Amino acid sequence: MATTGASDGASAAKKEGLVTLMSGDGEIFEVEAAAVAALSVTIRHAIEEGFGDRPIPLPIVGARALALAVEYCRKHHSLGGGAGEDSAAYDDELRAFDHNLAKVDRDTLFDLIEAANYLEIEGLLNLMCRTVAEMMKGKSVEELRRTFDVSNDYTPEEEEEVRREVSWALD
Amino acid sequence: MLMGEFWGLGVRFRVSAMENCWDFLQWLGPDASTCVFASLDDPSDLVRASAVSRSWRRFVIANGFSRSLCRRICPEVSNFTRAVEVSSSAMNQEVGSSTAVEWESLVREHRIYSYLCRCLVSPEGSSDCIDRCIGASSTDNFPDESIENTLEPSDRVYMRPSYWSSGGEADPQVPESLIYRLGSDLCVVNEIKIQPFKAFFQHGDPIYSVKFVRFRMGNSKLPLRSENYVTDENEGQAAADDNFVWTYISPEFPMLQESVLQSFKLPRPVLCIGGVVKIELLGRVQKQAMDGLYYICVSHVQVLGRPLSPKLALDTSEASGASVLKYFPVDSSSVAPNGASRDDEAREPSRWHAFAATLRHLRAGGAWNQAILNTLLRPVQFAEEDDDSDEEEPYA
Repeated sequence: MATTGASDGASAAKKEGLVTLMSGDGEIFEVEAAAVAALSVTIRHAIEEGFGDRPIPLPIVGARALALAVEYCRKHHSLGGGAGEDSAAYDDELRAFDHNLAKVDRDTLFDLIEAANYLEIEGLLNLMCRTVAEMMKGKSVEELRRTFDVSNDYTPEEEEEVRREVSWALD
Repeated sequence: MLMGEFWGLGVRFRVSAMENCWDFLQWLGPDASTCVFASLDDPSDLVRASAVSRSWRRFVIANGFSRSLCRRICPEVSNFTRAVEVSSSAMNQEVGSSTAVEWESLVREHRIYSYLCRCLVSPEGSSDCIDRCIGASSTDNFPDESIENTLEPSDRVYMRPSYWSSGGEADPQVPESLIYRLGSDLCVVNEIKIQPFKAFFQHGDPIYSVKFVRFRMGNSKLPLRSENYVTDENEGQAAADDNFVWTYISPEFPMLQESVLQSFKLPRPVLCIGGVVKIELLGRVQKQAMDGLYYICVSHVQVLGRPLSPKLALDTSEASGASVLKYFPVDSSSVAPNGASRDDEAREPSRWHAFAATLRHLRAGGAWNQAILNTLLRPVQFAEEDDDSDEEEPYA
């Protein structure tokens, strides 16, 4: 909680086009309002509703995920949607950035999905969901249970029936 | 004992805590979970996921992911207004609360579309699905240059050229088309092959190819009765474009000016709903020296894919004109839908046609005795009587 007072932060934010975000675990982030508002529907609405001069509370987003989400917004705001001669190079850079972001550990991956979902950052949500889907690809039913720690709650008879139904996909 | 129970509890606690972390259905909530499942693009991944646990299965079925995956693989699937399962035990009464009935219908839909998904991406080998010819936009000399000749792989049959020829046009932009009926109402089509015809009997061996080809697939608005197909006597009455509903139109493919069997691989598997394929031939390239008109000639066409009958069938009999997907989970040839495998029938008329054409050609040349020719050209069923009379001769 070691940050500027709300009123000081607010005036500074207004002058420099910054907005203050507060993670669920109480960390304060001062970020470019234009970048996050362009990518996050939730923050855009919060700013529109006059939250711009107070810290915006994001109760279910942890600091680590918020830092990554903000980084995502900055990168995509500065490089994305840019027309002109550099757009191809920008696309490559963005792809590389996304690719690296998707390499986070599983905990962070799930935190990021939750954050993207809450902040309504569609691109980030899709990226992370595709990453989870990627983890599901080619795995057997048993491997899926292990990877996602799902317990098998079928009775043996039900399991038999389900397996028969999907037998073509099991080999 | 006490210790054991204590540890047992501990283990259970740890497992359930991890469940909360990792089972994303619970952790992420329905929106993000939907996003994850909607990102799966392989039917077998989706189906395996549906077998993981009760909650995963419920989630996959309730959201109709197998249907939306089908639609992503083949957008034509959206043309089905309904999917029904036809079980051999028609006693399958739906009893219970309305929620239970509704759930049962979702489960059935999941089963049907999972099966369809699997068919759409199946790597199993494909074969020529063409069954019969519905017609050509024009034919120069019918029946000698009939579309039926394009069913023959070779460009000559019994020493005689075998090809379809369009009528001649002064304007090279005038398009032509060939319409075929496939062996099943529902076929997954991957590739189409066309061989332009080289007129080896004309000076300079001109190849009457085209610049581009394009394909349409769909169904006939009319019920296709035998008179709607091309025969020796009948040029086909149903080939007009407004007799058909096209549910797929391919991009244009450039065609080479070479008389080889050219392959046109579709960008994705296409579900032909209704079993009708139209080959559009665009941009004439070859003038015939004799009359200065542009012609298009094709010696062979193949539509490569896999019929989905007898397990899946199309029902368009409803008054609303709706397309209903029917699924026959139990293999029962007795309930095989119309248009099921009829390969033998399909090939026979074509071979007979070629032979008959050869004979007609000879007759035109005056080389054969009329009486012999007439005997040969008589319908097949009279052949047995001829055999009988032949057998009697030794005793005479």
